[in-house]
Amino acid sequence: MQDESLFSDLSKRGISRRDFLTFCSTMAATLGLQSTVVPQIAEALEKKQKPYVVWLEFQDCAGDSESILRSTKPTIAQLVLDVISLEYHETIMAPSGKNAEKSLADVVKNHKGKYIAIVEGSIPMKDGGVYCCIGGKTAIDMAKEVCGNALATIAVGSCASYGGIPAAAPNPTGAVSVKQAVPNATVINLPGCPVNCENLTATVVHYLTFGALPQCDKEGRPLFAYGKRIHDNCERRPHFDAGQFVRKWGDDGHRKGWCLYEMGCKGPQSYMNCPTIRWNEGTSWPVMAGHGCFGCGQPQNWDALGSIYSRLPNVPGAGYQTTADKIGLGVAAAAAAGVAVHAAVRASKCKAEEDKK
Amino acid sequence: MAKIAIDPLTRIEGHLRIEAQIEGGKVVDAWSSSTMWRGIELIVKNRDPREVWALLSRI
Repeated sequence: MQDESLFSDLSKRGISRRDFLTFCSTMAATLGLQSTVVPQIAEALEKKQKPYVVWLEFQDCAGDSESILRSTKPTIAQLVLDVISLEYHETIMAPSGKNAEKSLADVVKNHKGKYIAIVEGSIPMKDGGVYCCIGGKTAIDMAKEVCGNALATIAVGSCASYGGIPAAAPNPTGAVSVKQAVPNATVINLPGCPVNCENLTATVVHYLTFGALPQCDKEGRPLFAYGKRIHDNCERRPHFDAGQFVRKWGDDGHRKGWCLYEMGCKGPQSYMNCPTIRWNEGTSWPVMAGHGCFGCGQPQNWDALGSIYSRLPNVPGAGYQTTADKIGLGVAAAAAAGVAVHAAVRASKCKAEEDKK
Repeated sequence: MAKIAIDPLTRIEGHLRIEAQIEGGKVVDAWSSSTMWRGIELIVKNRDPREVWALLSRI
């Protein structure tokens, strides 16, 4: 079982060749790659061994685990996560206590430098790390050992990526991100509250195909998922440009699906692919459902962006179309006035010349 | 008389440690500890009350 490729496992589960290639194409599209790499992705998934994966939970709410477990689209993505060799995941594994600890220790010992660690939740540093202990070990000691010896660590969700809610002021437990806790580890951040399953799947597929983690921004986030601003891909953007804003929950503009900027939407300062891949089988995402984005994938969003209902100050371009129209009218009026003045001057000049005669 | 500890207790949401005192094959006393704390009660203090649902729903 362990040494089988991913595709052989999928075919046992009744996944057809066509479904498999459709999945490879979806992954290429999510990664922002050309369709020419689809065969490369397919080849990698067919031939390479399933990666060993351990999933650690620290100061978490299991929301990222839920996000992965409940995802249904693409269905194969769920299976991809199902058929990686997931050796340790507290919420879903069968062994408890010492047997659970052994599963983790075995991977770290037997596959040192070859396994992928996925971390959910922040790591408390205050008071010697006592605020999160598993099997008598502190989260910081576990992270140093497990992430420090991993091929790569994927920090899922905003807590593991940036500290998230536990690190929000006054940060009672001294919570930090995985990268802050284990600076020497290779960490890729997939923030979001929770992480979007499709971004995690695409990251794993990228690694299996190219043998490297995808290109990241300065926050350690992969560009394919976090390279574009929510505001620029938002379906309500035309209303922002036209100056059509929701002013009160349930008002006429809210019913018509106008822009939520005045209600505190943080889309203008948030980078994620929510508007394009969406959630719940691509059904919807917060703004589509009628609530502003609260910037869950931005560093320290709970403190840096203000209350989720306070309007972001100074976002340029709000209602620029109406402004342009007003300026246009003003220019036209000025031009008309200029014509009138010119005509009057000319008329008076003519009159003066006539008088001379 | 023996004392056993199960930590981590898996297949639950959150972190839990169970200790039990055993005498003659029977559990005579037991203790449970939640081994993780974030202080969300302190984090929501002095925040805009309208946004507290968003933090507390992520407990």
